[in-house]
Amino acid sequence: MTVERSTMDTDIVCVGFGPAVGGFLTTLSRAMVDADGNTLLESRVMPGLPLQVLCYERSDDISFGVSGVVSKARSLRATFSAEQLAEIPMTSPVTREEVLYLQDPLGASRRSRGVRALDALVNTFKGVLPWSDHAVALPWIPPFLQKHDGMVFSIGQLNQWVGSQLMGSGLVQVWPGMPVSAPLFDGDTVIGVRLVDQGVDTAGTPGSAYMPGMDVHAALTVVGDGPVGPVGQQLNRRFGFPAGHHQRDWAIGMKAVVELAPDCDLETGTVLHTFGYPEPEIFGFLYVHPDRMASVGIFIPSWFDNPARTAYRYLQHWMTHPRLWKHLKGSTMRSWGAKTLQESGRRGEPVLVGDGFARIGEGSGSTNVLTGSGVDEAWATGVQLAEAVIELAKAGKPFTKENLDATYVTRRRNSWVEKEAKVAEKARDGFNTGFLRGLVGMGITGLTRGLLNLRGASKRPHERIPSIEQYFGDRISVADIREIRWQCQASGTPLHDALMDRSGWPKIELDGTLLVSHQDALLMGGKVQAAGGFADHVTFLDTATCRGCAEQICVDGCSGQAIMPGADGVPQFDREKCIHCGVCLWNCSKPHVTDAERSNVGFDAGSGGLHSPIN
Amino acid sequence: MSTGFHVVVCGSLVPDLLQTLEPVQGPAGPALKNELMLPSVLDPWAAHALFEAAHVAATVPGSKVWLVSLGPKAKLQQLMMSIAPKVPFELVAIDASASGFTDPVEVAAALAGAIEKIPTLDRSRLLLFGGCASASRDAGVTVALVGERLGITDQFLAADELTVSAEGTLTILERVEGGKYLVSEVSGPPCAIAWATGNLPEPPNNPQVGMLNMRTMMPALQKAAAVQLASPGTTFHSVELPKQERRTRIVKDVPIDEMAREIADWIKG
Amino acid sequence: MTMETILYLAHTEDDGSLSRVALETLTGAMGLHAQLPGARFVAGFVGGDVSAAVAAASGCGAASFYAVSGPDFAMSRYASDAAALEAICRASGATIVVAPATSRFNRAIPGVAQRLGGRIDTHVGGCSVEGGALRIQRGYYRQRMIATLTRAARPWFLTFDSGVYPQWDGAPVAVQAESLTVTLGDELKKTKVVGYKAPFASAQTIRPDATLLFVAGVGWTKKQADGQVHLEEAAQIILNVLDKSNASLGSSKSLVDQSSEGHNVFSFMSHLNQVGQTGSTPRHPKGLAACCHGEEPHVVGWRFIGERRAINLDPNCGWAQGKADVVYVADAFALIAKVSELL
Repeated sequence: MTVERSTMDTDIVCVGFGPAVGGFLTTLSRAMVDADGNTLLESRVMPGLPLQVLCYERSDDISFGVSGVVSKARSLRATFSAEQLAEIPMTSPVTREEVLYLQDPLGASRRSRGVRALDALVNTFKGVLPWSDHAVALPWIPPFLQKHDGMVFSIGQLNQWVGSQLMGSGLVQVWPGMPVSAPLFDGDTVIGVRLVDQGVDTAGTPGSAYMPGMDVHAALTVVGDGPVGPVGQQLNRRFGFPAGHHQRDWAIGMKAVVELAPDCDLETGTVLHTFGYPEPEIFGFLYVHPDRMASVGIFIPSWFDNPARTAYRYLQHWMTHPRLWKHLKGSTMRSWGAKTLQESGRRGEPVLVGDGFARIGEGSGSTNVLTGSGVDEAWATGVQLAEAVIELAKAGKPFTKENLDATYVTRRRNSWVEKEAKVAEKARDGFNTGFLRGLVGMGITGLTRGLLNLRGASKRPHERIPSIEQYFGDRISVADIREIRWQCQASGTPLHDALMDRSGWPKIELDGTLLVSHQDALLMGGKVQAAGGFADHVTFLDTATCRGCAEQICVDGCSGQAIMPGADGVPQFDREKCIHCGVCLWNCSKPHVTDAERSNVGFDAGSGGLHSPIN
Repeated sequence: MSTGFHVVVCGSLVPDLLQTLEPVQGPAGPALKNELMLPSVLDPWAAHALFEAAHVAATVPGSKVWLVSLGPKAKLQQLMMSIAPKVPFELVAIDASASGFTDPVEVAAALAGAIEKIPTLDRSRLLLFGGCASASRDAGVTVALVGERLGITDQFLAADELTVSAEGTLTILERVEGGKYLVSEVSGPPCAIAWATGNLPEPPNNPQVGMLNMRTMMPALQKAAAVQLASPGTTFHSVELPKQERRTRIVKDVPIDEMAREIADWIKG
Repeated sequence: MTMETILYLAHTEDDGSLSRVALETLTGAMGLHAQLPGARFVAGFVGGDVSAAVAAASGCGAASFYAVSGPDFAMSRYASDAAALEAICRASGATIVVAPATSRFNRAIPGVAQRLGGRIDTHVGGCSVEGGALRIQRGYYRQRMIATLTRAARPWFLTFDSGVYPQWDGAPVAVQAESLTVTLGDELKKTKVVGYKAPFASAQTIRPDATLLFVAGVGWTKKQADGQVHLEEAAQIILNVLDKSNASLGSSKSLVDQSSEGHNVFSFMSHLNQVGQTGSTPRHPKGLAACCHGEEPHVVGWRFIGERRAINLDPNCGWAQGKADVVYVADAFALIAKVSELL
C-alpha cells in the first residue's frame, strides 16, 4: 500500500524554536493585527485572515532547550519590559562577576610549556594575587567579557515563556515534536519544508503505521534550527558559503542545573567563568539562579586536540576542582544536557537569504565569539528579519533574495550585532596554533576592538585530530595503548575512561547526587526519551572509513553514550539515548568522501531527546 | 449505527513521567516542588482513552470526539500543541489546578459541569471516556464520579478493548485479577469507560490534524472558565517520599556460572 | 465527635468464597473498630449466594450483617453492584465504608460514594487513629509519595490494597444476615457479562500467585555485543526461565510499547505484563529484573516485591542506587540461560 504524502500551504514556516525564532515570531505577531483584532498583514493562502505563520520544533516540548545563559540581553530588553522579563522563572540580574584561572591540583592536566610558565608565575605571586584553592581570580575583567547589568536565565524557561506568550496571542502556531527533515526547492527557490517521516523503523523503512512527512509550502521559510540543524546544513551544502567563510570551529557545551547545598554561600546572580582546567582549553561557567539553583558547565572546543575527548568526564573533573567544589559539594543534579556551539561566528555566516528563505540565529553565524554571547544576538537577528518581513508584507513585495537582502540583511549589517561580530571575527584565530596564543589573541582583539588580531590558519576538525598514539604517546606506551584498545574492544566500551585513568586522571568518586554515572545523568538529569516510529538521525556515511578509523572519536565524544563501539567496526547508534547535541556532526577524524568541509557522520532530523525544561 | 457516538474524553495534564518529583507544603496544602516548571504530558491513561476515542470515531461514521481537560490555562495551551496533531477532537478547557492533591469529587463536579454545557452534545449517544487512573491523583475514581453525575449506569474500568458490532452492541474487555479480561456486552450508549493502556499505538503527529484542532482550541482556551477546586474538611498531615533505600550488594567480576548458581539458589530457596 | 459506623463490604468470588484481599481488609476493618472509640461495626455482602461468605466473616464481631444476593448480583457489573452497595450503605447508616480493592469494587465503589455524597480514597496503604480521628495513608503520583490525611466528610469510603493486613481466619459463629431487596429495572441490566478471556492463546505469562516476578527490560531487544539483535534467542531464554522458575512475567514500559508500535517483539507479552508507570503494581515475595535500568519510574511498580535482585551491565544503574538488594553486573542473555540450566 502506498501512502500519499500530504501537502499544506501557509505563508511563513519557521524551522526550530529557539531565541532567534522567538524574537522573529514575537515581533511579527505584534504587527499582524491592530488593537481591535483587525488584520494588518494579510495572508495570501487564506485571504482576509492575518498571515498564517507556523513554526516546527524538533524537541518534544518547546521548553527542552539547552544553554547556560548569562547575557546582556539588550535585544530581549528592547522587546519586553523589565516586569515581563522578571516573570520568567530562574531569571536574575547579574550581581557579581568573576573570571577564574584554574590551576591543576592533580598534576593530570596536559599543560604546555607556556601554561606551565603561567602556573609558575601565579605560584610565585599567589601571596599578592587573589588566589585560593588552586585558582586565581583575574583582578580585572576585560570590558569585552563583562556581563555587568546583564541577566542570568534558563534557556528552557525563556523559550517556554516566550512560546506561551506567542501561542496565547493565537496569531502564530509553534508545534513541538515535529522535526523538519529538509528544505523544499523549486530550482534555487526554497518553497517550504518537508517534515520527517513517521511510522518507520530505525533504517527508515516504512512500517504499518507509515506516515510520510508532510510538505509544508510557504512563501517564506525562516531557518532558525541552530548550529547543527538539518535544514540549515542542507542549505549550506546547496548554496555553499560566501568567499572566505566556513564553519570549522565548534565546541560542545555540557551543563547541569544543580540545586546548591543549603549552606552554599553563592549569591543569586553570581557569574563565574573559568579557564585552565581540567585541560587548559576547557572553559567553564557557573551562574546562580534564584532559589539556590545554578547552571554549571564546560565548553570543549574543536581545537582541543584530544582524540578521546569526553565532555562528561571532564565536566565531573571540572566540578570537583577545589575552587568550584567548595560551592558545589552537597549539590543535587536537577537537570543535565549538552549542545553544540558554532564557534566560527561571523566567519561561519552562511548565505543569509535567498529566494524564499532567510536564516537567523546561531546557524546564521550570529554568535559573538569574542564576548561569548549568542542568545542576545540570535534574538536580535530574529527581530531584524521580522521587521523586514513586516516591511515587505506591507508593501506587498515577495520574499525574494533581492527584497530580503534590501530589508533583512541591510538591517543586520547596520546593527550592533554586525559591528560587534566584525570586531570579533578574528578573535579566536590564535587558538588554531595554541591555547596561550589564542588567549593572548582574544585579548588583543578585544582591547583593540578588532584592529589587531593574532593569526592562525584555520583547520577542519578532522585535520586537527591526532592519532591516539600521538596524543597519549608521552604518557602511555604504544603497547599499553594496544592493550587498552583490546580490552575496550572486548568489553564494547569507549576508550576515553581507560585512557584518562591511565594518563593520571583519578576516577570520579560518585556521590549519587551530583557526581553520578553518565547513564544516570541521562535519566535523572536529562530524562532522555525517544518515541518509536522514527528513523535513526545519526548515520555513519562511509562505513568502510569507520572500519578503518582508529580513533572513533564519535564514540568518546558522544554526550549521551548513544554512539558505542560496534562489533563490525562501525559504531552503533542508539537513538533512545541521543540528546541531539550534534557533537558527532563535527567530532569525527575522517572527512566526508566527497566534501572535505564535512565529516563522515550524518546528522539528520530526528525526534526525541532531552525532556528537561530548566536547562 | 447511523448517527454515531458522541465521545467525551476526560483527560488532564500530569508531570512528564520521568521527572523527579518532590512534595512541598504550599499555602493551600501539599504541592509539587517547582510544579509550574515541570514539563507536562497528557495523563497517559487518558491519552490512551483519547486514541481509543479517535479510533471509535474513525470506525463509526457520524461520531465526534471532545477532550475535556482541566489544568492551568498556560500549561494546557502548551500541552495541546503536542496533543493536537495526534487525533481530531474539540477541546473543552477548564482553567484549574491539575495537582494530584485536588479532590476527585471536586474535579468530577467541574468536569461534569463542563460536559453538561457542551451545546451540541447528545447525551443519549454519549460514550464517556477517561483513564483508569491518573498519574497524579492515582485513585481511579474520577470517571465513575463523572459518570454518576451524568446518570450513566453502565460503567467499565481498566478497559483494554472496545468493539462495536454492526447492531451497535458494545463489547468491552476489562482487566481483572489474574491477568485475565472480563468480557461484557452493553446494548448501547450511554456508557462510561475508564481505559487502561488499550492496544492502539500512539498515533503519529499529523500537522493537518493539528491545524484542524487549532481552530477550536484557541477559542476554547480563551473562554476556559476558572474553577477553584476546594477540598473542605480534608487535612493533609504529611506528604513524604517513601524511604525504602536498600543496601545494594553489587556482584561483578565474578564468573557467570557462580552468579547463576547464586541466583538459582535464591529462586529455589 | 460523631460516633462512627464502620461498614465492611465484600463481594463473593465466582465460587461464593471471599478473596484473599477481602479477608485481609476484614482484619483492617476490625482493627479500625477496635481503635475508634464507640464505633459501631457492621458488614455487608453482595453476590449470587453470599451464605458462605457471610459464614467466613461471621466471627468478625459485626453488630449487623447485610446481604444483597441473587442471580442479578452474581457477576461483576457496575449497575447491579452500585445499586446493591448503595442499598447496604443506606440501610447501615455507614459513616466509614471499608472495602477490598478488587477489580469489581474498584469499579463500583466510587459511584456509590457519589450517590451518597461521600468522599473516597482508594489504594489505602494503612490507617491509624489519632485523637479519636481516623487518619489514612495513601499514595499520590503513582505511589511516588505517600500522604497521611484526614477527612471530615462522611460517609468516607476506603478501599484497601492487598498486603496491608493479614488475612482474617477467625472461627465462624452463627449469624443471621439481613437480606435487602434490590430490584433491578431493565435499564440496569443493559450490560451483560459474557465471561473471562485470557490475553494470550499460548502460555499464560501472568501468574499472580508465583513466588518470583521476572521483569524483562528493553535491553532484550537491543543490539548485543555482536552488533545484532537476537529477538528469538531472547524470547527462548525468557520463556525458558519462566518455565523453569514458574515465575510471573513483568515488563518495562518501553518493552511493551514496542510491540504496540508494530515492531517485532515478543508474542507472549502485552501491556498486561507492564509493571510500574502505566502498568501494574504486582505482589510477589521475590523479583528479578533483567535488562531494565531501575530508574524511579521503573521501580514504582515494585512496591510490593519483597526481595529484589537485578541483572544489568551498568554497575551504576538505578537498581544499584538502593533500589535492589543485589545487582549482578553481567550479560543477561548468558546469565539467565545459565540460571535456567541450573533450575
